[in-house]
Order: sequence, then C-alpha cells, then structure tokens
Amino acid sequence: MKSTQYSEKVLDHFRNPRNVGTLEGDDVATGRVGNPVCGDLMEIYIKVESDRIADIKFKTFGCGSAIATASMVSELAKGKTLDEALAITRQDVADELDGLPPIKMHCSNLAADALKNAIHNYRAKKEPASDVKAPTECKRILNAEEFVGRGMYLDVEDISVFKDKRTLVYDRGDRSVDLAAKATEHTPRVVYVTGSKKEIFSKEWKTKLTDAGVKILYESEIVEIAGADDVEKVRIHNLDEDEEYDLFMDAVVILN
Amino acid sequence: MITYFDYHSSKPVDQRVIDAMQPYFREHYGNPSSLHMIGDRATRVLEQSRLSVAEFLGAEKDEIIFTSGATESNNLALIGYAMRNRSKGDHIILSEIEHISIHNIAKYLEKQGFSVSRIPVDQYGQVSVKKLAARIQDKTILVSINYANNEIGTLQSIAEIGMLCRERNIVFHSDAVAAQGLVPLDVRRDNIDLMTISSNDMYGPKGTGALFVRSGVKLQPIIIGGGQERGLRSGTENMPGIVGMAKAAEIARQDMAGDVKRLTAYRDTLIKEILQRIPRAYLNGHPVMRLPNNAHFRFDGIEGEALLLSLKDAGHAVSTGSACSSKTLEPSHTLIALGLLHEEAHGSLQLTCGRFTREEEIAKIINDLPEVVQRLRKLSPLYKEED
Repeated sequence: MKSTQYSEKVLDHFRNPRNVGTLEGDDVATGRVGNPVCGDLMEIYIKVESDRIADIKFKTFGCGSAIATASMVSELAKGKTLDEALAITRQDVADELDGLPPIKMHCSNLAADALKNAIHNYRAKKEPASDVKAPTECKRILNAEEFVGRGMYLDVEDISVFKDKRTLVYDRGDRSVDLAAKATEHTPRVVYVTGSKKEIFSKEWKTKLTDAGVKILYESEIVEIAGADDVEKVRIHNLDEDEEYDLFMDAVVILN
Repeated sequence: MITYFDYHSSKPVDQRVIDAMQPYFREHYGNPSSLHMIGDRATRVLEQSRLSVAEFLGAEKDEIIFTSGATESNNLALIGYAMRNRSKGDHIILSEIEHISIHNIAKYLEKQGFSVSRIPVDQYGQVSVKKLAARIQDKTILVSINYANNEIGTLQSIAEIGMLCRERNIVFHSDAVAAQGLVPLDVRRDNIDLMTISSNDMYGPKGTGALFVRSGVKLQPIIIGGGQERGLRSGTENMPGIVGMAKAAEIARQDMAGDVKRLTAYRDTLIKEILQRIPRAYLNGHPVMRLPNNAHFRFDGIEGEALLLSLKDAGHAVSTGSACSSKTLEPSHTLIALGLLHEEAHGSLQLTCGRFTREEEIAKIINDLPEVVQRLRKLSPLYKEED
C-alpha cells in the first residue's frame, strides 16, 4: 500500500479542514506535539466553558493524514466534557476517518495526543512552553578544538573566508548575531544555533537575522563536529525533543 | 487538463520507438543464440542495436552490455568490479548524493568486507574534486559518481573526476541515467570506465538498460546462466526491448539539441516565475550547472506530501523529497546532504519536464502553485508572515 493511499474521508478533511486557526484568552489552553524534524507538528487550542470544550482550533505542519486527523479530532472533541475528550484515542480518530495507511498510524496521527496535552495544560493552568528545559550553559563540544584552522573558527578577522561556505554560527550574543548577518553577504547559507526558546529569544536579534536570510535553530546545541579533513558535518541536539541529527556544513563559528 | 512534471520517475515511450519494436514481437521472434537463419537475423539486429547504443556514448560496440535496466547495470558495475578485483584493494568512493540503488549496493559491499567513503557535496550538490582526491588511498579500486543528480539535477565535474581517476589508476563508474539525452555523453572524452544508462530515460521501453564496460576492465557476472553478453549477463536477450532502446538512442542523438533548447526555456520560466510569485521560496541545487529539465524548490512552512496532494487535486502530477511520501518516512538523503534542515527538506517540490511537455502545462502550474502554497501556509504553525 502506498503511504498516500487515503480514504475519501481523509481526503475530504485534507481538502476542507474544519476548525483551522488559533484561540486566545484566559480560558484557552494549548497542546503542542510532534517535531518539525520528523515532518509533523501539531498545535491544538481549546476554549473551556464549565468543563466543556466550547471551541477548538488547530494548526498543523504535516502530510495529508496529519491535517485530516487534526481536523477530525477537532470535530470529535467539540462540545465534549474534558473527561470525554480525554478518552478519544488515536484509533478512534483513524476509525472515524475510515482508516489510515498503516505506515501513517504512528507518525501522522498526533491529533489525539495534542488534544490530551491541551487538556492537561488547561488543568495544570500552565502553558506547554513553560516546562521546556532551557539550556543553562554549553556542554563541551566534541572535536571543536581539533577542527580549528580546518573550518572551525573561534575568532573571525576577515568575514570573506565564508564565501560560498555553508556556515553555522553558535549563539554568543551580539557579536555572533552581527557576524551571522554579515556572513550572508558572502554565502547564501547561514544557520544560527541558539539554546534559547523562540519565545524568549531577543526580538531585535531575530529581526536582524531573519532580514539577512539567516535560518535560526532554537532550543538547540552543538554536540559534535565531524569530517575527514575539514568540517563536513555538525551534530545538533534538539533540547525540546531531546533528539540528535546531522547537518552538512562547511564552517562553524563559536566565538570565544 | 492534467499536467505531468515527473519525467525523472517515468517517461512515455516515443511512438517512433514503438514502431521500431513492433516487428520483434511476432515477425522477428528469433533468439540470437540459435544457429539457424532466424537466429542469425536476430544476431545481426542485436549487434546493430549494440552499435547504436555505443555511438550514443562514444564507445566501441563490444563495450556495451545489455541489462534489464539501470538498477541491474549499477549492480553489475559495482558488485561485478569490486568482487573481481578484490586482490587489488577493498576501498570504494561514492558521493553522498548517489541514486538510492548505488547507496544500497555500497551497503551490501560493506557487509562483504569492503570499506566505502562517501564524499560530501557543497550546498549546490557538487562533489569537490579536491575532497575526492584527498580520500583516495592505495587500496582504492573504484569511484562511483553520478553524472547528474536524479533529484536536484546538479551536474558533476565528470571530466575532472575522470582525469583524476585515470591519473591515479582507479576505475571510474558513472550513473548517467538522469543526464542521458540531455547532455552529450562521451566516455572517451571523460575517461569513464563504467557507465550506467537506461532505456526508459530516453523514451524507450522499461525493462531494458545497458552498462558500458571499457575494454580491458574485468567484471564478475552477477547473473549466471547460458553466457550471453560475453558471459557478463546471461539470459536470452530481450530483443524488442533492445531494439527499442537502440531506436531511442538514435532519436536522442538526433533530437537532443532541440529538446534541450525547449526544456531549458521551460525550466528557466518555472524557476523565474515561481521564485518571483511565492515569498520564501528557494531553488534547490545549482543555479547554472543543472539539468535543462529540472526545477527543484522548497517553500518555508509547508510539507511536501500535503503540497503534492493539493497539486494532485488541481490536476498536477509532481514529486517531492518529503519523508511523508516515502516508504521509509526518511527525507531525501540528497536534500539533507545539501545542508538543509529536515523541515526544509520536507517542504520540497520537484518539477521535471520532458520531450512531451507543453507550454500550457508550464503556464498552468505557475498559475496554480502560489494559491496552493498559500492555503497550506495558512494551516501551518511554522509559517508566520512576520518571521
């Protein structure tokens, strides 16, 4: 079976998703599950009135089944009490959609989890973001010293060394922000890695970086630098998801 | 109107090819191995076909081995060469962005005790010849680099790599499937020792391919039987397929200049218009050193499978490097090797044109795509206008 062999019902919810959007207010809670690295990220917003879900909205970055399951869960949960809504399972969502391709049952069926997360957050009266562990200080980066002079920079005098190089700049405050933004005059690909969460990262820095075309990776740290001779790969640890992955890069800047 | 932008996956067979194949199903059904007159005729046709394919590559007739397609040719080239020449060394070099068949054959060879180095590419998908040279060891026996990448269409510096391998006395294999018919191939000029091509990728029938094996390069067969194709590929020759492939090669030589001119214009229009009409859209691959039929994009904040399905609803057949549309749920290894983040690789769209692409198709996708991207971005928590 192809991974995109969807039922008519899935396709209907994909084409005309119900309850797309966000909600705000004191009686609103948010659930957020998934990870853009895996290709799926889902946010569900619930507005609660006398223990019932009075309104529900969602946003999703994901494939066809991710969109359809979010839409279906929003229909199933609307009007239900919080306990009733908590009882909605992934299987219920899949059944209501006349089934999902087996390969999509786990990866793209996050909607029920996002709903549960929202209800828990409502009951705990807290935003989901607040329980994310923010890094306090940098851990030792494997091989960082070894690659100095071979694509790893602790100090930069002439920014044109980054010409046409995929360059990764580690968050060291103002100086590193300036350097990352300026580097884009020499190379189209600059990635800025910061341990900060998106919500608390300086607005001014963010504007400066995004205006210059720098890609920002929040809540991330460098674990290891690797390459046969020069820098070839950087291993990144995503703190939010506690996941590691490799990025192909030619230069890394960690200012002293 | 249905548009088709997936020529890298499959091509329709050219009518001229079908006409050439037709007599070989009922009228001329002979087996080249038979000694009677019907067999003799089949032998003559087989050798004429071999000559046509050889001329297409700048090779000699006896350097062409017919196979069942590009995957088999890649298997014969890598496994056949590595196993036969193990006494010379056990090290093989590839790029990070080879076709999946090459990557999986290399994994198989690793299990057989060979060691494999994978050369990183730059942000446009080009292999650095300097980095390649630095990885060569005394025990390196084989280098395999694709002529052009099958996803992003980046062309490699094949002549330079060929020269390097010749100087260092290492056999050089190139999978030319994505490039054939779009770039003039010449195995002598480029110092190529083994080259993979397929029939369907030049509008011939599926189930047929060929491997160029430079005279003097020794292989071990991977299919054992009656000893056809100089003992390198046993099994009765697929005559209709081979005749079709030869005809397709002749047409490709004749029509290449016209095809390339038309396709380049389509590609350039797609790239220019799509980047202009859609905010935060980017071109993947090389701006200049790319196949004339390949336009490959990524769009911030959306996922490729959802994009593919939406375009399907609007009557467009396209392809994506997104994980969600693959069997393994892994994003394309080629896009990751460019240095892209997973979420960027997920948001990619591959448009490949071909001999039968019409101008209306180009106009329709340019018209429909911005709206589809906008609709999906409205759903996405990753895309905010102000970011």
